[in-house]
Amino acid sequence: MTRRLVAAGLFALGVLFLFFPILIVAPMSFSADRFLGFPPASWGLTWYRAYFTDPVWLAATGRSLRIALLASLIATTAGTAAVVGLGRVRPRPRAALTGLFLAPAIIPNIIIALGVFILALRIGGTDSEITLVFAHATLGLPFVVMIVGAAYRQTDPALERAARVFGAGPLRAFWTATLPAILPAILAAAIFAFFVSFDELVVALFLMGGAETLPVRIWNDLRFEINPTIAAISTLFVIVTAAAMALAEFLRLRATRRQGSP
Amino acid sequence: MPFGPRLPLIPALLLALAMFAVPAALMVQQALFDPGLTAVHFERFFTRSVYLGVLQKTLVVSAVVASLCLLVGYPMALYIVHQPPRRRPLLLFLVLVPMWMSILVRTYAWMVVLGREGIVNGALQWLGLTAEPVTLLFNSYAVHLAMAQILLPVMVVTCYAGMTEIDPGLVRAARVMGAGPLRAFRHVFLPLSLEGAVTGWSVIFILSMGFFIVPALIGGRRDTLLGNLIVGQVAQTNWGFAAAMAIVLLAATVALLGLVRLVAGRFIHSPREARP
Repeated sequence: MTRRLVAAGLFALGVLFLFFPILIVAPMSFSADRFLGFPPASWGLTWYRAYFTDPVWLAATGRSLRIALLASLIATTAGTAAVVGLGRVRPRPRAALTGLFLAPAIIPNIIIALGVFILALRIGGTDSEITLVFAHATLGLPFVVMIVGAAYRQTDPALERAARVFGAGPLRAFWTATLPAILPAILAAAIFAFFVSFDELVVALFLMGGAETLPVRIWNDLRFEINPTIAAISTLFVIVTAAAMALAEFLRLRATRRQGSP
Repeated sequence: MPFGPRLPLIPALLLALAMFAVPAALMVQQALFDPGLTAVHFERFFTRSVYLGVLQKTLVVSAVVASLCLLVGYPMALYIVHQPPRRRPLLLFLVLVPMWMSILVRTYAWMVVLGREGIVNGALQWLGLTAEPVTLLFNSYAVHLAMAQILLPVMVVTCYAGMTEIDPGLVRAARVMGAGPLRAFRHVFLPLSLEGAVTGWSVIFILSMGFFIVPALIGGRRDTLLGNLIVGQVAQTNWGFAAAMAIVLLAATVALLGLVRLVAGRFIHSPREARP
């Protein structure tokens, strides 16, 4: 019994270590001091107001949202289609293609960023949101292929075949027989792909000269001073991420638990 | 087979080729041609002790961070795996949420916590351990601590995935045959969980090799890693040299992981092999 308590206590310590810094930043973001000190001398929404009234921060946020939405849409569509396609090729090319699709998740972003930047220099695509959207979509692709792939392998191919037998075209058969079963996984994948882009710093740093995304704005700010506005943004960031991850995990578990049903 | 059924692969293939394979090829070209075939960028890297020192530092920091993560992450995964199946998703979720939080935000949080006016300095002064604030940032301890904290979830998840592959019947069999819990763990569970542990170590090593945010924001001048040099060279428009460094980074990573696999391969048994 005591051994169990000790083990649970140690695990809780590990989790606390993971959350500790952001748990400290959240209350400090409600400080009204000019410099962040602990504990704050006065409290208020000063830094939240600073964020929501600064056109530069808002423009960066809007740009990041726009890019992340598009990147997520492209990654989710291409990734889901790829999962279906991968189910139709022989094992050898399937392994090679899966490796290619998953590689961006394991290669350090800085290497991919440099490659995309050099490509953009050659084709004149620097300072272009479009290039950044496609680069971010490629970074999100591995997560879509993994999450949707796990759900797709658990669907029953007989359902889609049955739909075909009864006269549905291939698209319609997929749409009515397979898609509903993997839809939660697709939505979960879309959320993950969104955050891969929304968070991404180094590709945006290389590609976007003047037009800063939110991470680039934070980066440029942090290098010169610790601006308490970032504490407010961090807190918002953390709340939004936690909520979205809870939703994504819920959807993902639902999609992969279906296996039990006949 | 006609081309039709493979049609759904096209968009992802185009994306991966245009934004990953072609850029990689262009990077190699940029490093080797300037404008004619040249080794000048690699020569510059390998003949200056500054750059070699940074390469060595990057390798050492990555190995230390991966080992720290293993030390903390393996027991955490072990704990989750020994919980009733219904409780596991929640415990995993607690580890997964920080994994998806912005690295920038988490690094900033460390800046706030370890800063001169931060909570750690506040606590030290309150306890009377120091009279003046201590400089806790801008040294390699802070870099290791923050990098390990940021990458720890990856280790827990990878170790956990490896552990769930292990057939629980094997451990039970060892217990039935008279082995105590520690002996059953050491001789059955531990060897079978090593594959996941080595995978976790390798993934964290790779990710650490590319880190630049943490060393730039909370490291000192001597904590510069290869990633920081690459970002700096891009800013100075030395693209050829930046590309050469990226290739060195990738080659060093692959070489070291090959070595790890070679050494670890002797001790590792896949949990899938041990299945009836």
